[in-house]
Amino acid sequence: MALVPLVLYTAAAIVYGLHFARRAPRTGRVATAVLSAGVLAHTFLIGMQTMEAGHAPLVGTTSAISAFVWLLALAYLYTELTTDERAMGMLVAVLLAVLDIIPAFNPTVVPRPEVLRSPLFTIHVASLLFAYASFALACVLGVTYVLLFKEIKAKHLGFFYARLPSLQVLDAMNGRVLTIGWLFLTFGLVVGGVWATQVRTSPDPRAQAMSVADPKILVALVSWGVYSFALYARRAIGWTGRRTAWLSAIAFAIVLLNFLPVGYFLTKSHNFNF
Amino acid sequence: MRLLVVGLSHRTAPIELRETVDFARGGLDVALKSLAGRGICQEAVVLSTCNRAEVYAVADTAADADSLGLFFSEYHQLDHRETAAHLYTRIGGDAALHLFRVAAGLDSLVVGEPQILGQVKAAYTTASDLQFTGPLLNRLFHSSFATGKRVRTETGLGEGAVSVSYAAIALAKKIFGKLSGLGVLILGAGEMAQLTATHLRAQQVRQITIASRTLASAERLAGELGATAAPWTAVDDVLGTADIVVTATGATEPVLTRARVDEVMRTRPHRPLFIIDIAVPRDVEPAVGDLEQVFLYNVDDLQTIVKENLARRSGELARAEAIVTEEVTRFVSWMQSREVIPTVVALRQRFEAIRQSELLRLEPKLAGLPPEARARVDEVTRLIVEKLLLTPTEQLKAVSDESTIAAYAEALNRLFRLAAEEQQRTTSAAAPASKAPRS
Repeated sequence: MALVPLVLYTAAAIVYGLHFARRAPRTGRVATAVLSAGVLAHTFLIGMQTMEAGHAPLVGTTSAISAFVWLLALAYLYTELTTDERAMGMLVAVLLAVLDIIPAFNPTVVPRPEVLRSPLFTIHVASLLFAYASFALACVLGVTYVLLFKEIKAKHLGFFYARLPSLQVLDAMNGRVLTIGWLFLTFGLVVGGVWATQVRTSPDPRAQAMSVADPKILVALVSWGVYSFALYARRAIGWTGRRTAWLSAIAFAIVLLNFLPVGYFLTKSHNFNF
Repeated sequence: MRLLVVGLSHRTAPIELRETVDFARGGLDVALKSLAGRGICQEAVVLSTCNRAEVYAVADTAADADSLGLFFSEYHQLDHRETAAHLYTRIGGDAALHLFRVAAGLDSLVVGEPQILGQVKAAYTTASDLQFTGPLLNRLFHSSFATGKRVRTETGLGEGAVSVSYAAIALAKKIFGKLSGLGVLILGAGEMAQLTATHLRAQQVRQITIASRTLASAERLAGELGATAAPWTAVDDVLGTADIVVTATGATEPVLTRARVDEVMRTRPHRPLFIIDIAVPRDVEPAVGDLEQVFLYNVDDLQTIVKENLARRSGELARAEAIVTEEVTRFVSWMQSREVIPTVVALRQRFEAIRQSELLRLEPKLAGLPPEARARVDEVTRLIVEKLLLTPTEQLKAVSDESTIAAYAEALNRLFRLAAEEQQRTTSAAAPASKAPRS
């Protein structure tokens, strides 16, 4: 069952790729349908896991990745419905399919330890994952912006020129998802901080390790700094275009770094993988 | 009933003749009424654009095409011997193929141009509003719209600008999204400047400012276009607020140097500036294009884009033709299945008549039965007739070539003596039409 969303996300990536290359409207609708089916199957899977475990499957990096993939797919479908723009679909679906490999082959839900039995924990994880999903979209928008910018600047109008919306639209969408992501990131970090002080007295070694020196928390704060700067640069300095596009791509690389290697191997405080 | 098209286009007729043979000038409705007055056809649509004049019609025989050709000459008071040489005629499926290619932009002077589909739609709407179209032309034209739309969305045939001005506007749209709300600065007041300004004004930009070395000529052009004129000394100020700059001066030295534009860009950091240099010799130093947020295109760049687009369009031709072929096949099979309908109807009427007369003959014997039993008899006889006719009807509708349809119809007519009844039926149906019967 855990493999079904992976298969559908992979299929969606292929169909979105076909749509990107050939631009038949029917293929575009099929792509959306396949991705929607993937999201539905994934929703069902997460629902099953919640019923089985008796809590939302957010404990441990693998479950968090699964939830992240689900949120990103939802956020993307929302933007596609509101803007009627499928050009980003291929990159997003590829990201979904690649990330979903980990939870698809390792679907066991980690039992929730005593220390995580707080609604604050769920809010903390959910809002951070939503922030990361927004940043993933910002990254994809940034990458496509840079590709289109380069084509226009170099006067070689070709593949991306014919397929992407205007630079202005890409830039405006980037600004919007950055703002949404930053709000959720800030909120999630604050909730995490409050919750960490509450569990200080817990005997769990992971609660004891909650400090700014822990890699997971440190990198999260760094990424908050980078995104805050990106927003400040856009709003106060007036940065647009290529610079914010690059910035959103680099910042998402930091987010992914924190999510995968740090989350699995380096952190002591956020190590709920077993 | 034959589908016909008679017409002339840029492929067959010189411009002088196309200018004369223009049904749109006097009004398509007048042309349609004049055509209807001649009683050549039951349905008609007149398509008239600057590159073609065509009449699509449904007539009794293919020979009616000659009468339609004569209409072209007589309506425009031309010598028919001369006009006839430039006219082409397409019949049946070929007529459908012709219209579908026209609607898809495959028969246009600039292949893939999008206006033609709108013109075909307008021509059809005029004819249909005046009730000159019937089932055949309705279906034909709606299929042609669908074909045109498919070709546009499923191929790159209409993609990419094929003129320098449109290439520039398409580029501006890729950079800024919508052009409404943008400020435009035009340097120069010559013919090229005027042409570009006209195109940009059609895109509803917020403001067009024209600057020229002689303020008077800038003011003259600004007056013509509803733009603002600015003195040459104020160019740097306007540059600071403009989004698109078009340079078309006759200067021999670059007007916009890298240092000058760099200076201006400092007052407007992070706002893109699109400079279109259509002057020869160039007005803008090539190094200006290296500045961040400046997009610089000169005439040669735009012409290269146009050439690439034309090449790409011809690469899409095969795909477009395949779509047209597919749609024509579908239409033709519909058209042919329609031809057997009179035979099918006559056959059914014949069988039903036999059933009714037999029931009538048995009436005295059935009179004693209770009403349910009589209803059952009626039901059973009806079902027998239905079942007997089911397979022949299906087989008839499945036939797709014209000669077989004719042979089948002929055989059925003879075997069941349908001809007499059918003739009776068609003459009564044709009575309201103002058309004299032809053989």
